[in-house]
Amino acid sequence: MTNAAHRLLWTVIALLLVAGGAVALAASLGTLPGVDPAAALLSADVVDRWRTAAPWSTLAVAVVGALFALAGQRLLARELRGPGGTLRGTLSHPGRRPGRTRLPADVLTDALVRDLSGNPGVRRARVVLTGPAPHPDVWIRVDLTADAPAAGVREHVHAAVRRFAATTHCQPAHLDVTARIEPAPQ
Amino acid sequence: MRTANRIASVLLGAALLVGGAVTAVQAVLLTVHRRAPLDTTGWWDALSATRWRDPTVRTVATASLLLGLALLAAQLRRWAPVRLRADEHDGWYLHRRCVERRLADAAAAVPGVRRARARLRRHHGQWRPRIRASGDPAARAEIEFAVHQELHRLTAPRPARVDVRLLPRRRPA
Repeated sequence: MTNAAHRLLWTVIALLLVAGGAVALAASLGTLPGVDPAAALLSADVVDRWRTAAPWSTLAVAVVGALFALAGQRLLARELRGPGGTLRGTLSHPGRRPGRTRLPADVLTDALVRDLSGNPGVRRARVVLTGPAPHPDVWIRVDLTADAPAAGVREHVHAAVRRFAATTHCQPAHLDVTARIEPAPQ
Repeated sequence: MRTANRIASVLLGAALLVGGAVTAVQAVLLTVHRRAPLDTTGWWDALSATRWRDPTVRTVATASLLLGLALLAAQLRRWAPVRLRADEHDGWYLHRRCVERRLADAAAAVPGVRRARARLRRHHGQWRPRIRASGDPAARAEIEFAVHQELHRLTAPRPARVDVRLLPRRRPA
């Protein structure tokens, strides 16, 4: 899940908490019309209706519980899955003559990672391809050593992407490079 | 905040999964008149005995309201960016924390300057470094020069100005 999705999720939860807290406080202070502050939270009337509606009332709770469990499972799965939309599978190019060239996407990203890591200033590189195969979005993260010449590494990264585009016939629609630089040695 | 949100979401997901599954199993067992794992008669009694005007209800409602407001403020305030754009055209970004650390190190390397801290924000489309350190106020120009040099080394855009706040070092009594 993206940072924006998390922000939206927790904003909605915060609004629910504020609304619930405000309504309960208003009911407690007697300012909510239709609620007697002297009444019990679970009045005898509600309990009677619950018992009359059995087994449908308990079945409804079972369904609601299952839906909550499903929502929790989906949320956990999304959290633990990592970045979404990663291009997986096989890149396929139609040839001039009958036939197709097929390449697994993992092989392409590994090749670009190896090319990027060839510069001594790059300690680690990570590449993610997203979007449609002929013009993918290329997301790169490079960790630079403390003494790496940033200008030289920058040129190396762009040269590597140009080589990648030339050899795979995959001109990136969008290129995004994030550089992390180690702190200077003390 | 981003890490806190992620951890909170994992905890929320786990709580929903476990809570929802237990509720569903409990409700199904109650429907078929089998012995349920949780004894909920105590909860029924407690909820039936509690009135809306009880202090417990007010405490819980106020706590929920305050927690919601705090969460809302934390989510809606402006967050510091994770990374800053170094160039408008070639999609090159620099990780903000790394650059801040490098700028702090560069400022601390100026003679007579100690405990330097750097903060980097984007302001009207430009980078705005802010250095706080303790040392001789006369070292301001040297710190600005060191920051410009370090940003140039990192191929970052040249900022219009560098805020330097120098606190005079306290002398031992």
